[in-house]
Amino acid sequence: MAQVIIQGFLLSGLYALIAVGFTMIFSVGRVLNLAYGVYIMLGGYVYYVAVQILSLPKFPSFLLAGLAGIVFGVLTYLVLVKRFEKDPIAVEISTLILAVVMQAVIVLIFSTAPRSMWPLIPGRFEVFGVSILKNILFATAVSWVVLGSLMVFIHKTHIGRAIRAVSMDAKGAAVSGIDPQRINLVTWALSGVLGAIAGVFFATYTQLDPGMWVFPLITAVAVVIVGGIGSIIGSLIAAHIIGFMEVATTTWISADLRGVFTMALIIVVLVVAPKGLLGKAEL
Amino acid sequence: MFSLPLFLSTGTLRIFVMANFLAIFAMSWDALSGRTGYISFGHPFLIGIAGYTTAMLTYHLGVPLYLSIPAAVVVTMIGGTLFFLPALRIRGTYFALVTLAFMEIMYHLTQVIAPKVTGGTRGLSGLPEMVSGAIPNYYLTCSVMLLIGIGLWLLIRTGLGTALSAIGVDEEAVKSSGLNTNRIKLFIFTISAMIAGIGGALYVHYLGSIAPRALFDINFLFSILVAALVGGAGTIVGPIMGAYFLTFLLEYLRPYIPGAGRFVLYGVITLVVYYFAPKGLYSIFSSLRQRLSGKAGTG
Repeated sequence: MAQVIIQGFLLSGLYALIAVGFTMIFSVGRVLNLAYGVYIMLGGYVYYVAVQILSLPKFPSFLLAGLAGIVFGVLTYLVLVKRFEKDPIAVEISTLILAVVMQAVIVLIFSTAPRSMWPLIPGRFEVFGVSILKNILFATAVSWVVLGSLMVFIHKTHIGRAIRAVSMDAKGAAVSGIDPQRINLVTWALSGVLGAIAGVFFATYTQLDPGMWVFPLITAVAVVIVGGIGSIIGSLIAAHIIGFMEVATTTWISADLRGVFTMALIIVVLVVAPKGLLGKAEL
Repeated sequence: MFSLPLFLSTGTLRIFVMANFLAIFAMSWDALSGRTGYISFGHPFLIGIAGYTTAMLTYHLGVPLYLSIPAAVVVTMIGGTLFFLPALRIRGTYFALVTLAFMEIMYHLTQVIAPKVTGGTRGLSGLPEMVSGAIPNYYLTCSVMLLIGIGLWLLIRTGLGTALSAIGVDEEAVKSSGLNTNRIKLFIFTISAMIAGIGGALYVHYLGSIAPRALFDINFLFSILVAALVGGAGTIVGPIMGAYFLTFLLEYLRPYIPGAGRFVLYGVITLVVYYFAPKGLYSIFSSLRQRLSGKAGTG
């Protein structure tokens, strides 16, 4: 039991971090960014190259990974998404193609062989007989700090309020003098950096391989659907539901079945309550 | 088209066979999603259950192909009605996600539930062939593809095609004009599943093997979606053109670019084509034809 509670809590923190960048794009731009998994993959690989190939110190490498996320997020918006702004389906298709292209690029550079990442903080300790990796605990801690600062940013700063305004009503926001272009750009940059940071932790949690973008993307989709669009708190709760469910399934039933329950949850929520737990937006 | 085997090598014919399969899958996708706006991200789910049904029947029970393939098609049509249930309430992006979830569930289930029967992660191999050799397979897939294409064309020419496009534009309006949209959706979903079933069943017997990662995979979904969209969604010729374009693009890049670089270039070209012609290659050709024939085409 202690095992499930502690591991569930740690995993959920990571899932919340993975999902929140995706949620932001979905609530502000009303589009699904299927290339979101690429930011995660990119963060992981940039950090890997910086630390394990170029032997840079950990902190600057971490910043470098974040920067790569920002650049890629902004580029996705400027090059692809802006062109198809009126057509969410086209955005989904084009970002999916982009994700597959980036997967091929990673295969080209790093081959298909999986690579393991050094933990950010090595070692483990025990609480209530449960062994905890310090690295995972650190990831969860960072994820809570990031999510906390994001909440403050969204609610207290001018730009944050503008982001919320656009996500509620883009036209109304434009009327009151908010440039939706600029807000979109900021949101995509934020989403990129959040994805890349989540990617560094996710990669140390699992491993680096060219197909690694799919799982976090699907998890992010699940979190957003269950939590409801436009609600960061909803995403946080949903991340914990999904995280705990996966850990419980892994511990008590079978590790192979955890994905099945998550997917079943998506289907049930979408069919029964398409707005999710705390969704504000109309469909 | 049927005289091509006289001129081409078996290697080239095998590329044609793959293009035909992709065209069948893309047409199936297009029937469901091309007009209606119910975007399916779960077509590998339909193709996969067809493949697994016939693979398990022939591999474990030794059922002959002329029974196992129809059985697979029927099972897939039942699977297609599973897609229909969420479509009663949600559409667009949300529908796409539910169908994606179906695909992911199947990916996990085939590996976990009774791995002895499904072959688990490695799948099943050594499945019987329907016909052997490149030339018979070419004729088989070509005829199936053309039959499906003609069948769909005849179907779409009726009021059904108009109704489907109307659902894509404004479903409420179609309802208020007295049509039962649920019945129309159920019908076209079943048709789409039937095509996916035929294609999927033939496909695994052509390959001779089946594995979860080869079928329930986002890259496979990518090929189907892109073939339909790059060719031109909502047209019947479009998906066929798209499938041929993609398959031959990948093959013709082979001698020039070794290894993984080919897939990068392939993806980039696809992206560029989609970027500049989101309506598909078919629309370019038809507007060209209009211009050449002197009619003032508006695009």
